[in-house]
Amino acid sequence: MPEVQRLEALAERLRAVDPTMPSPAAKIRGWNLVSAAVQQSATVRSRSHSVKRLLLAAVAAAVLLVAGAIAASADSLPDSALYPLKAVVEQARGAFAFTPSDQLTYHLDLARTRLTEAEAMIARHRFDLASQALNAMNDQLNNAAVLVQTEKLADPAMAADMEKRLLQAIATHDRQLAGLQGQVTNPAAQNAISEARDRAAQAVQLAKTPAANPSDKGPGNGSASPHPTPKH
Amino acid sequence: MGKAASDDDRPLIERVRRGDQDAARTLYERYFDRIYNYAYARLGRAEDAEDLAIDTMTRSLTRLDLFQDQGVAFSSWVYRIAHNATIDHYRRHGKVTLVPLDDATLPQSADPSELAIEHLSNEDLRLALRDLTDEQQQVLILRFFQDLTAAQVADIMGKSVGAVQALQHRALGSLERALQGRAVN
Repeated sequence: MPEVQRLEALAERLRAVDPTMPSPAAKIRGWNLVSAAVQQSATVRSRSHSVKRLLLAAVAAAVLLVAGAIAASADSLPDSALYPLKAVVEQARGAFAFTPSDQLTYHLDLARTRLTEAEAMIARHRFDLASQALNAMNDQLNNAAVLVQTEKLADPAMAADMEKRLLQAIATHDRQLAGLQGQVTNPAAQNAISEARDRAAQAVQLAKTPAANPSDKGPGNGSASPHPTPKH
Repeated sequence: MGKAASDDDRPLIERVRRGDQDAARTLYERYFDRIYNYAYARLGRAEDAEDLAIDTMTRSLTRLDLFQDQGVAFSSWVYRIAHNATIDHYRRHGKVTLVPLDDATLPQSADPSELAIEHLSNEDLRLALRDLTDEQQQVLILRFFQDLTAAQVADIMGKSVGAVQALQHRALGSLERALQGRAVN
């Protein structure tokens, strides 16, 4: 008989082998064991899902809390618990100011914010915090003036525009400070405002000073600081 | 032995995932006998076949999270688990290493045409089957004892249909020689 036929016959014979079946007792025993395992597995899975849901809820709550705190801190004042968070957010914002013009906008924004805070602190008779806010305002104006002076070497046209914006801002602040000075009677507050106006005037001078050309550097002016106003 | 259902299994699997015992029972009834039959053909002892079938069904119905990633029919996945459990059983209890009968030297007196297939008992066939290599046993059991198509067997074994058909041809030849060898001895 040819091989193909023999193997086909063998295959048919294999198909005809009676299937062996488990005993009913074995099947029942099997189901009892499988059923218990399935039940236990479902319980464990359910517990694991509950834990996952709880974790997700906790993460969502934490995200909402942080986002809420950041949003609330935007309007916080120096006497608020959220104020340090405001400083962190401001620092982070500064990292995204890439061009000199953006950096100037950033410093002017912060200066205006500090002035607003100082006014609020004076209204609440927190003169120490008002003084700190005015100092911080002057630091920002000084940074802006240094920025303008540096830009004069790189791009005089841009520097002229920036200088104009800075002088306008300082003039506005000075009018506000003058008005405030007329309202307060506390000597400490008077001194702080007066000092702030002086430092703002120094920033104006610094911004107007022509940029020093590095090739003109002589023995006398080689150590001249580009920051006439000390930074705090 | 019925054909392996796969499309019908999907809704049941989803219900088992949610802890539905009735759905688990339906799948158990659908597969337990087949897996027992497969295990008995591989191991040859009722007690071992029972344990292996229970173990396979337990793993199949409690690890459905793993099934999702396999990309095969549920029936194929169950058979794969049964196959792996068989290998584990051999590893634990030992198994005689077989020389593939393709290469074995047959007795001089053996003449293939002398094999009287109609006189072979079921037990002769079962015993001779266990002389084959692991893959050869698997393909013959799945194709002829479990009545699965070559495509279903290919899915279970992770091979192409052509490879399964070639393996089946070689396995039948090996089985024939094994039966002749037993008849001579």
